[in-house]
Amino acid sequence: MRWGLVPVYIVLFVTSVLMAAPLVLTVFSSLKSPDQFLRAPWIPPSPPVFDNFVSAWYKGRFNVYFKNSVIISTIDASLMALIATMAAYALAFLRFPGNRALLVILILGLMAPVTALILPLYTVMNSFGLVNTRLAVIAADLALALPFFIFIVRAYFLNLPAELRDAAKVDGANEFQVFWNVMFPLAKPIVVVVVLLEFLWSWNDLLLRLVFLTKDPLRTLTVGLLFFQGLHTHDPGGSAAAALILAGPVIILFLLFQRQFIQGLTQGAFK
Amino acid sequence: MKKSSLRDLGSACFFLAPAFFLYITFVIYPTLDLFRFSFTSWDGVSPVKQWVGIRNYQELFSDRIFWQAFRNTLLWAGIVLLLNVFVALVLAALIAEPIRGRVGFQLAYFLPAVQAGVVTATIWRWMYQPNGVINVFLRTIGLGRFARGWLGDFTLALPALAVASSWMSMGVNIAIFLGGIQNIDPTLYEAAKIDGANRFQLFRYITVPSLYHTIVIVLILSTIGAFKTFDIVWATTQGGPVRATELLATYTYKKGMLEARYGYGSSIAVFLMLLIVLLSAFYFFQQKREA
Repeated sequence: MRWGLVPVYIVLFVTSVLMAAPLVLTVFSSLKSPDQFLRAPWIPPSPPVFDNFVSAWYKGRFNVYFKNSVIISTIDASLMALIATMAAYALAFLRFPGNRALLVILILGLMAPVTALILPLYTVMNSFGLVNTRLAVIAADLALALPFFIFIVRAYFLNLPAELRDAAKVDGANEFQVFWNVMFPLAKPIVVVVVLLEFLWSWNDLLLRLVFLTKDPLRTLTVGLLFFQGLHTHDPGGSAAAALILAGPVIILFLLFQRQFIQGLTQGAFK
Repeated sequence: MKKSSLRDLGSACFFLAPAFFLYITFVIYPTLDLFRFSFTSWDGVSPVKQWVGIRNYQELFSDRIFWQAFRNTLLWAGIVLLLNVFVALVLAALIAEPIRGRVGFQLAYFLPAVQAGVVTATIWRWMYQPNGVINVFLRTIGLGRFARGWLGDFTLALPALAVASSWMSMGVNIAIFLGGIQNIDPTLYEAAKIDGANRFQLFRYITVPSLYHTIVIVLILSTIGAFKTFDIVWATTQGGPVRATELLATYTYKKGMLEARYGYGSSIAVFLMLLIVLLSAFYFFQQKREA
C-alpha cells in the first residue's frame, strides 16, 4: 500500500460511514422493541424483534399499499418498455415528414416539472373521470417520463449498425416484424435500464399518488408512509419499519442491477 | 419533400401513436391549460372560469409569502449545490485514486440515490428529533449545548432538510463526476506528476478544468432538482415552522390544491416552470457546446 493514499482512505471511509449511517441506523431501529430505544441508536438491536414490521404490515395496512405499489409500478415499467421503444424506433429509423418537429416537442416535455403541472393534470384526469383510479397515476407516470426514455432508447438505436435492420427488411418482414423480432431484442440492454428506472421512479413517486389516489384502498406505499410516519413521530421503530418496507424492494433491485441503475440515473439526472 | 420521406408515414403513425397520445393528453395539454388557468380566478370546481387578466401575477409579486418561498428555494439550491457539486466532485476525485474497496465506497454513496423522498424524510425526521441520533451523538461527545429539535428550529430547519435532500442526490453526481474523471487523458496526470505536482494541484489544475462542462451541467441539474423539491418537505415540516421551509413547490400545492385557489396556484406554477425552462435551455446550450 502506498502511504500517500492514507488520507484518501480516511476521507472516503468517514464520508461513506456518514452516507451509510442513516440507512443502517434505520435498520437497527426497525428491529428494536420499545424498551431497546433507551440504548443509544448506534447499538444494534439485541435481540432483533420483528413486531414493528408485523404491525406496519397488518395494522398499518402496508400489505394493501405494497400490493398497490407493485401493481402500478409493474404496469408502468412494462408499458414504458413497449411504448418508449416503439416511439424511439420510429424516430430513429423511419422517414416521414415532421420527424424533427416531434423531437423538439419531446424536448419541451423533458423540462416539464410535475410539481408545476399537477394542478392542470388534476382537471384533465377529473374530466376523464380518472381521479381515484390507478389509470390516472399510470397515464401520468408514463406521459411525464416518456420523453426521457424515448431519447435514451433512440440514442441506443442510432448506435446500432444500420445493416441489421436492412438485412431484416430484405427478408421481406414488415415494419412491425422488424421491430418486434429484430430491433426490440437487440435493444435489450437499454430496455432493461428503461424497465428498472421507470419502476424505481414509479415506486418512489409521492405527488401524483397523493393527488390522484385519495381513497385508502388505492394508496401506494409512498402515500401510506407519508401518513403513517406523520402519525407515528413518537414511534421510531414503527416509522423505520414502514420506511424499509418501501425501501427494501428498490434496495434489492439496486444490489442486483447496480450497473444499469447507475447508467440510467446518471443519464436521468436531468429528469 | 422527397417522395421517399412519405414512405414510412403509415408505420410511423402506428409506432408513435401510443406515446404521443399520452404525451399530448397528459403533458402538452395540461401545460397549455396551466397558462390559461393562471389568468383566471378559478377555484378548481365551479363551471365558470372567470378571466382576471394579470391580476394573479400582480398579487404574486406583492405576496410576501411567495417571495419568502422563492428565497427559501434559492437558499435550498445553494446548500444542495455546495454539497452536491463541490463535495461530490472532491469525493469523486478521491474515489478515482488507485484504491482498494472502490465498489464498497461507491455502494455507500449511491445507495441513498435510489431512496424515495418520503423514505429520506422519514429517516432524517427521526434523526433530527430532540432525542434523535444527531442530538444523542452531540451529547455523547460533549457538544450537548448544540442539541436541539432541528426541524422545529426557525433558522436551521431549512438547511437541515437541504442536507437530507443532498444525502439522497449526492451519489448520482459523484457517479457523473467519476465518469468524467475516468475520461480524462491519463497522460495529463502523468506529465504533471513528473513535474512534481501534488494531489491538490492535480485536482485544481487538471481535474477541475477538464471537467468544466460536466461541472456546469451538474450545477444546472442540481438547481433544477432543488426547484422541483416537494416530497421531503411535505413529509416533514410541510413548509413550517411558520414559513421557514416553504418552497415554491409546496406553496403551489397549498394554494392550488388545499386552498382551492386554482388560478393563483397556477400563476406560482407558471413562475416555477419558466424558471426551470430557462435553466434547462441553459443546460442544452452547455451540452451542445460539450458535444
